[in-house]
Amino acid sequence: MGHSSGRRSLSSGITVTKLVDLYDSPMEVTVIGGYLGAGKTTLVNHLLSQATEVIAVLINDFGEINIDDKLVDSADENTITLTNGCICCSLADGYSKALDDVAKRNPRPTRLVIEASGVADPAAVAAYGHAPGMALNAVAVVADSVNLIQQLADPLVGQTVRSQLAAADVILLNKTDLAPETETVRTELDRFNSDALLVECVHSRIDLDLLFGSEVSKVPKASEAVGEYESRCHRSNQPIPRDALVELIERLPEQVQRAKGIVRVAEEPQIPMVFQLVGRRWELRALADRKNAPEGNQLVVIGPKGTVPLDWDRTLKVED
Amino acid sequence: MDPTQPFATAIAVQGDRIVGVGDREDFLDFPQTEVDERFGNKILLPGFVEAHSHVMSGALWEFPYVGFYERSDPTGRVWSGCQDVDSVLQRLIQCDQEMVDPDQTLVAWGLDPIFLQGERLVAKHLDQVSTKRPIFVFHASGHLATVNSEMMRQSGIDQHTPTPGVAKDDSGVPNGELQEPAAMSLASDGLATIFIAMMSSEAKWSYALEARNCGVTTAADLGTTRLAMEGQLEAWRQATDDPQYPIRVVVAFGNFGSDGTPANIRDMAEKAVHLREHEESAKLRFGIVKIVLDGSIQGFTARISHPHYLDPPPGHPGNGLWLIPPEQMPDIVSAYHQAGLTVHCHCNGDEAAQVFIDAVDAALQTHPREDHRHTVQHCQLTTEQQYKKMSELGMNANIFANHIFYWGDQHATITVGSPRAEKMDGCATAEREGVKFSIHSDAPITPMGQLHTIWCAVNRLTASGNILGPEERIGVHKALQACTIDAAHQLLMDNEIGSLENGKLADFTVLESDPYEVEPEELKNIQVWGTVVGGVPFQAGSQ
Repeated sequence: MGHSSGRRSLSSGITVTKLVDLYDSPMEVTVIGGYLGAGKTTLVNHLLSQATEVIAVLINDFGEINIDDKLVDSADENTITLTNGCICCSLADGYSKALDDVAKRNPRPTRLVIEASGVADPAAVAAYGHAPGMALNAVAVVADSVNLIQQLADPLVGQTVRSQLAAADVILLNKTDLAPETETVRTELDRFNSDALLVECVHSRIDLDLLFGSEVSKVPKASEAVGEYESRCHRSNQPIPRDALVELIERLPEQVQRAKGIVRVAEEPQIPMVFQLVGRRWELRALADRKNAPEGNQLVVIGPKGTVPLDWDRTLKVED
Repeated sequence: MDPTQPFATAIAVQGDRIVGVGDREDFLDFPQTEVDERFGNKILLPGFVEAHSHVMSGALWEFPYVGFYERSDPTGRVWSGCQDVDSVLQRLIQCDQEMVDPDQTLVAWGLDPIFLQGERLVAKHLDQVSTKRPIFVFHASGHLATVNSEMMRQSGIDQHTPTPGVAKDDSGVPNGELQEPAAMSLASDGLATIFIAMMSSEAKWSYALEARNCGVTTAADLGTTRLAMEGQLEAWRQATDDPQYPIRVVVAFGNFGSDGTPANIRDMAEKAVHLREHEESAKLRFGIVKIVLDGSIQGFTARISHPHYLDPPPGHPGNGLWLIPPEQMPDIVSAYHQAGLTVHCHCNGDEAAQVFIDAVDAALQTHPREDHRHTVQHCQLTTEQQYKKMSELGMNANIFANHIFYWGDQHATITVGSPRAEKMDGCATAEREGVKFSIHSDAPITPMGQLHTIWCAVNRLTASGNILGPEERIGVHKALQACTIDAAHQLLMDNEIGSLENGKLADFTVLESDPYEVEPEELKNIQVWGTVVGGVPFQAGSQ
């Protein structure tokens, strides 16, 4: 029986991520939800101006988009094109048309961000993130730390706000500069979604690497709001029994909010699978480009410094 | 519907207008009068007005119908109901054989699994129809589709497809049922075929022929057409300018893509006003704005007050969905109100109705305006208190009477329970509180047919034959008013249509028997000869 222990490294996460991106490049989809006034459009403005890749954004509040004129290349009634290649499209004519338009863009955006309306259930919108050529990355929900408690208790909109928060992989607790304390809000949030990564922010400013989680090499630099991050890597050759993978996920400390990699599952070893974990949601799907797939298993996990145990991957070790 | 002259035996028409109503002798001394006896043994009513329907009602008839209830297509052909999975398959096999191109997608519509006994229809059944051509069966609810294996193969739907709503069997293989838009859009070829048909010029014609066949002379396309989309206004103009186009259409301005900000709504309102002031013609009208505030009761997505739903499906959050944040409603309503437009707001649930009524109240406080005719659409759970307030504010109602027949049994046992179901679609309450109201089909949600809708409001019989809430039944005369003069009122056309009076347009519904004479249970069985629109006769079922 072969023995393959995971070689661990604090820095080699970059390689794994690059491999995933190289061989499997569906457009990654992030859904932004949150109730009216939480700061969704501000977040869209923020990420369009900070983008380091070609992002397509689908939005409802087209009239509210406020992009520095110097960044705008062209604009018409339904689309704004930026000088950095990003585009911003109105959802006025529905999802099908907007997704179709984005798919036809040249250069093809590497990332799609969909801003759900203020009353939409982001989970329903996220279902579009599985369209052919796309892969859902995360549902980010923006919450207004000043008004959230009141909104949750509101007889008309309380349920809407709760459903939105429950669907989140990442919650941006926004406007914390205006809130005297956030402890009460955090406790309340725990009741509806204790699994999501919670990030406090002001003016919807969040580290894009944290939001998108693709370039993990940059994550250890960390955002001001959440402190330092570390990543650990696993490599092995033998296909992993599905149960072992599930056990690994279940044993991960709850602070670990992201993991990603390419694995062979013992039940279907001929198909290289992409593994993605965001918050408590994870998925395995067949790699798009199977011909050039890397050999064996390569996984990386990311968590706040000091939270990922050295033997995090012990369930993946094949015993003699 | 002219209370000073409820009945007459002759009517004089000059051009497209009525010039006299009375008896034949009254008109014999009119100069150059021709006597037209063709309707001598028929009944003429003011033309029926369907104030809430959707233009795609006609478009779906481009595809074979596989629904449970018998239905007539725009050519008058009667499609029998498919009462079990087998008869659905038999119809599809026949269509498959009639199709010339072996690769063309077979699209069908109207499937409603609730009514079908036995195993649920899935891909393996559709594979009996064809394993070579893709098949896409659109459900009656509009929320689901069932496809065959070839459609899944071509669309790349397999056991690795992660999209929620792609239903899978116990071994993880998709079974062909696609639930909700995101999953349906994976089979984009099928869905796109339907959408293209809905936006086509042919759809505008089949909608009108369907309306004509049930005696309708004016219909409102309530917020379906994206008027801002290139070519849509022109397509409507082209259709309605044709002398053979058999109905007048009120195309409501949908609040599509609005983000609810005051500047944006003012901009939308300006466009709507422009349409009304510059783009109207004899058979094409504007001036109504349609807003959708909540979902549907049978889909458990309408916003209803405590104690909410009786027996919702597992995982239901308790109450329905808002499609617009309630706190944005005052701004939205106020902007359209100030622009002089009439707002028709979809409110199935009472909680939604209250939000709309409050928004109208607020708009009237700051900008008093007489005769605004803002209308609550559907009004399914609207309460007596709400009707009182609507009456005070001068609001109208359009009540979804057809629900009593089609879903009344389900409302009594599953959605809200008997006590509330008996008060649903309460026409008698609206009448008592003095609210002008219409009744509607919401076609294609239920089949268009004013006589059937009148029958529902008068009898309140459910599909299983129970009388649901006898106290809410209304009289035949009131129901006829609701489908003529009062429907015209909420569409801002009561000065031109809705009653047979001097100077009004010569729009008539021509029936074979008198609705005032037949037994109430027989109202829906009255034969429709056809219509007269602007003095021009249009016979039902003709091409």
